[in-house]
Amino acid sequence: MLLSPIFYHYFRTPLPYVQTLGLQEKLHQIQLLLRRQNAHKDILLLLQHRPVYTLGRRQQADDPEVVAEGSQLQRMGADVVSTKRGGQITYHGPGQLVGYPLLDLGRTAPAMGIRDYICRMQTALKLHLKEEHGIETSLNDNTGVFLDETTKIASIGVQVRHRLTTHGFSINVTPEPVAWFAQVVACGLVGVRQGNIAEMTKTQGRDAVAVELEIEGLAGRFGKVFGRDMVKLDLKEKELGPAIRALEEEAEELQRTHPCPQTPAIT
Amino acid sequence: MFTSVLRQATKSGLSARAVRKTAAYASPSRQTFIRTLITKKYTQDHEAVVFDDSTSVGTVSVTDYAQSSLGDVVFVELPTVGSEVKQGDQIGAVESVKAASDIYAPVSGVVEAVNEALAGQPGLLNKSPEDKGWLCKIKLSNATELDNLMTEEAYKEHCENS
Repeated sequence: MLLSPIFYHYFRTPLPYVQTLGLQEKLHQIQLLLRRQNAHKDILLLLQHRPVYTLGRRQQADDPEVVAEGSQLQRMGADVVSTKRGGQITYHGPGQLVGYPLLDLGRTAPAMGIRDYICRMQTALKLHLKEEHGIETSLNDNTGVFLDETTKIASIGVQVRHRLTTHGFSINVTPEPVAWFAQVVACGLVGVRQGNIAEMTKTQGRDAVAVELEIEGLAGRFGKVFGRDMVKLDLKEKELGPAIRALEEEAEELQRTHPCPQTPAIT
Repeated sequence: MFTSVLRQATKSGLSARAVRKTAAYASPSRQTFIRTLITKKYTQDHEAVVFDDSTSVGTVSVTDYAQSSLGDVVFVELPTVGSEVKQGDQIGAVESVKAASDIYAPVSGVVEAVNEALAGQPGLLNKSPEDKGWLCKIKLSNATELDNLMTEEAYKEHCENS
């Protein structure tokens, strides 16, 4: 039996993190409800965020050390948000492609195990870097995609509830995230720096390598590794369309009134 | 004496059948009302609960199937002792390879104990998911909820077909 396609959507404007989390929750609830009639869709959201540091489940938001660091990061111009995903602290911001696959791991029989899901996500990212940019990645015991022992280019952090996934992955495309990453020990990995696609392809200028240019290629390879067709989500779709459009409009308004800072405000 | 024989049976991990056999040596009036005293049931989401009828406490764990599909566990989030839970409530999570997977209460009741050993040794969940890697103990408020859960045979089938 042929599985249904994964519907993907790319947001043009960097999204505020908390509201995007709200969208993920909303789509998750819709999936949970529609799954009872097997009418739910699998979705892949592709986007950038406004500058934000996010904490994983393990990090207690009320831990005084976390609170202190959080205030410092906020003063630099980023949001700081606690989440329920796996993994530790990381940064998201313009210049980094973020992907949220909202999939039902139970669509196949037997269901896709979590380890398998993470492995496939990693494979899709590595395949994209290799085929699109000729970037070789290295093997590493840690989850994520590494260029070598001390350079990480993509991160993964996922939450699974009743076999429905939320959160996902991020790939550094331009050098813009680097200065922000330098303010924290991302993913709890001491001595590891963040690489990006632009520096590996030795392209000058911010426009030559851009997040928008990665979308079609990545979506295609994601579909290939997961054995699914990738179809652009029609925003006229009555269940999912309105929520997605609303977030896009909010992000555009926010960008008009409060454009994202490009570098952290270091005093 | 009757109770202590049963407790020993539980400790040595004997199956429900063995427990019933021991119970048969009890007084005749007890024999007529024999019910299964140790019950193991399973949920769709791969949690297991071992219910001890004499104490009304269910020991909750994830199944071996679950731990193998998760990968190496690095962190286990457990409920607070004393908290009241309803069947199906989210009571914690298991984190492995950067994926945090929620776990749900198989039965309603009050959390009596949590497995503190998991804080320092989350890998216990992989090594011994249904025994040393137990998650928490819930004092059941409604034992009939167990009827909604799967038996071992039904669960095995669920794993093969789901």
